[in-house]
Amino acid sequence: MTGPIPLSGRQPKAVRSALHVLEEVVSAGPGVTAKEISESLAMPQATTYRILNLLVAEEYLVRLPDLSGFALGRRAGRLALPATTALNTAARAVVDHMRGQTRWAVHLASYAGEQIALIDPDPDHPAPDAGQLARFPYAFALGRLLLAEQADWRALVRELRPFTARTVTSESDLDRTLKAVARDGVARQCGEVREDRGCIAVPIRGPRDGRLVAGLALAGPTARIAEPNEEIIRLLRDHAARLAPLLA
Amino acid sequence: MRDDAPVRLRSRSPVEGLERRRLRPLEVVAQSVSGAAPSAAMAATPAIVAVSAGHGTVWSFVIATVLALLIAGCIARFTRRMAASGGLYSLTAKGLTPAAAYASALASLLGYGLLAAAALVGAIVYLDALIGEVVGATPGRAGAAVIMAVIGLGTAVLVLRGARLSARVVLAVESVSITLMLIVFSLLLAGGPAAGAPAEPTAMPPPGAGGILAGVLPALAAFIGFEIATALGTEVRKPFRSVPRAVGLTAAVTGVLYVFAAQVQVFGFSATPGGLAGQTEPVVALAAANGWGWLPVLLDLGLVMSFFACCLAASTALARVLFSLSRDRVAPRVMGRTHRRFRTPHVAIAASVPVTTGLPVVLLAAGVPLMSVLVTMLTLAACGFLLAYLLVCAAAPVFLHRIGELTWPAVAVSAVIVPILLVVLVAFVVTRPLSGVLLGGLAVLGAVGYLLLRLRRPAALAAIGVYDETTTGDVLFPHRGAA
Repeated sequence: MTGPIPLSGRQPKAVRSALHVLEEVVSAGPGVTAKEISESLAMPQATTYRILNLLVAEEYLVRLPDLSGFALGRRAGRLALPATTALNTAARAVVDHMRGQTRWAVHLASYAGEQIALIDPDPDHPAPDAGQLARFPYAFALGRLLLAEQADWRALVRELRPFTARTVTSESDLDRTLKAVARDGVARQCGEVREDRGCIAVPIRGPRDGRLVAGLALAGPTARIAEPNEEIIRLLRDHAARLAPLLA
Repeated sequence: MRDDAPVRLRSRSPVEGLERRRLRPLEVVAQSVSGAAPSAAMAATPAIVAVSAGHGTVWSFVIATVLALLIAGCIARFTRRMAASGGLYSLTAKGLTPAAAYASALASLLGYGLLAAAALVGAIVYLDALIGEVVGATPGRAGAAVIMAVIGLGTAVLVLRGARLSARVVLAVESVSITLMLIVFSLLLAGGPAAGAPAEPTAMPPPGAGGILAGVLPALAAFIGFEIATALGTEVRKPFRSVPRAVGLTAAVTGVLYVFAAQVQVFGFSATPGGLAGQTEPVVALAAANGWGWLPVLLDLGLVMSFFACCLAASTALARVLFSLSRDRVAPRVMGRTHRRFRTPHVAIAASVPVTTGLPVVLLAAGVPLMSVLVTMLTLAACGFLLAYLLVCAAAPVFLHRIGELTWPAVAVSAVIVPILLVVLVAFVVTRPLSGVLLGGLAVLGAVGYLLLRLRRPAALAAIGVYDETTTGDVLFPHRGAA
């Protein structure tokens, strides 16, 4: 009465069934119904329903608005590691061109599967720590671009830990910062990860659907990053626009 | 890919504006438990049940608990699959006709509104008694009216400031209240039966099956409000797990508390002529028999806190139902607005709390005895809730059939619970003539409202039942799905 039996490691069959159901939703495509899944897996209906409800509760699956069809939830995207896409020559040339325009570091990050992956870190400068970037995205300009895109950024932030005295650590401050990022289309952090370094990042969006696919970032001394930098932001946006058709 | 079934997703949820997925599961459990207000029922209901059930009082509560668990099971068929802000009517809409959903919405508004008002009255009644016990003088009618207005204002502020804040207050207050009640009842149990004329130990009516069943009526009414978590589906983390659990857990926990309280009181009066059934204030009488004059202070404090938490929880739910009805375009559109910072339906709160506070203040000022106001309001609220439960239980198997996930236990549970609830509802109305008349009047008003709505906004009525749909932001590769 109080819900499905909780899965423990002692129920290998249940775990296996859950994985089969997940796989079936992927291969059948969005909109597949519980009955169809139960039939194609030859799994008892009640079991299938229970597993589906469990996967929905854990947000690996979602029910579509008709409530009978299923699709992969966003959380399922976190099961796969981001595909390390080898950057094509044309895109690399654009990033290198940007590097030629500035003495600061230029990094390119992909947001495939809602995970931040540095796909072209600047070879002449130290790159941000990939682990920190993934775990504490709120402190990084590249991370804030991703968070600002979320309906609820809290889903991707586990804890707000300070790195320096400047790090944003209150939920309401971060919320305000992210709203500004979404509004202005540019993210910035000044000395929030390291006292002496700051970063500006602009989004790269798919030309057809406007979905956030990557971010182009510029890292430099804190004091200089804090300046308006209108010219350099225009330059970043310019290059981001040229990268968009090459990455999407 | 399935080309035959294009997936259309909205980019925004129809209930956007509320703080989505923030409440902790425990905070939602606290709201549901407070809605049921177990402390008050623990003190008052066993004596009412005993009038018909006699020594079988405990069994009436056991049966009522099983029924509450079955209702929770029916509600869970929906809440495991969808998250809503409108509570039971949003769920009913997915199984039954728009007319049934509309009836459920009105029943919920009546239920939550009167529950909030009754809780306010209850808080005042026992606060009055508490002040009397501690200070020796009561605040009088004007003083009570002022206190009532202040509590009403406090409720409005807390509910407005956000679901999380009020949920935390409710959690803290209800925990203290239940702890106090457990202390009180454990002491009474340890104190043994009250001494009385030992000649006739079994003066209570014999516990026939009919008596026990009649006792189920008031016992089941003690559970009303336990489903409040369903109105917070949009705002809780992992709603498909948290909401069904909160409702089921509340039914189980309050059931255990009631059975315990009933057992203590039946045992306490086992040596008294007339038994528990003859008592108007059983806990106070038991405390007096043990010579514990201070025990009523603890009891009254627990009751005041419980009623306050209940008022908060019911006001929260009431505002959500109004908000959801507005997003359905059934209620005025302005009630669907949300506060930009607090992310609560502030217009719906501003429209509802003054009514639920004003009604008891006016009745108090008019000199109507508060205890009878409390009983009448709770009776009417119970009728509203029972109707909403009846509809949602009937809707459950239809809903499952519609989405192709029907199983035989779902049919069996509804087949058992729906006729029982129908009998309970009819018996409830028939045995309380005043409520019957008032309800009849409300039903006529509701029917008129329905007809007007059907004439003016047939499309809105046909589409009633918004919920927190899956949006493009929730799905992995939403664009691939649309291909």
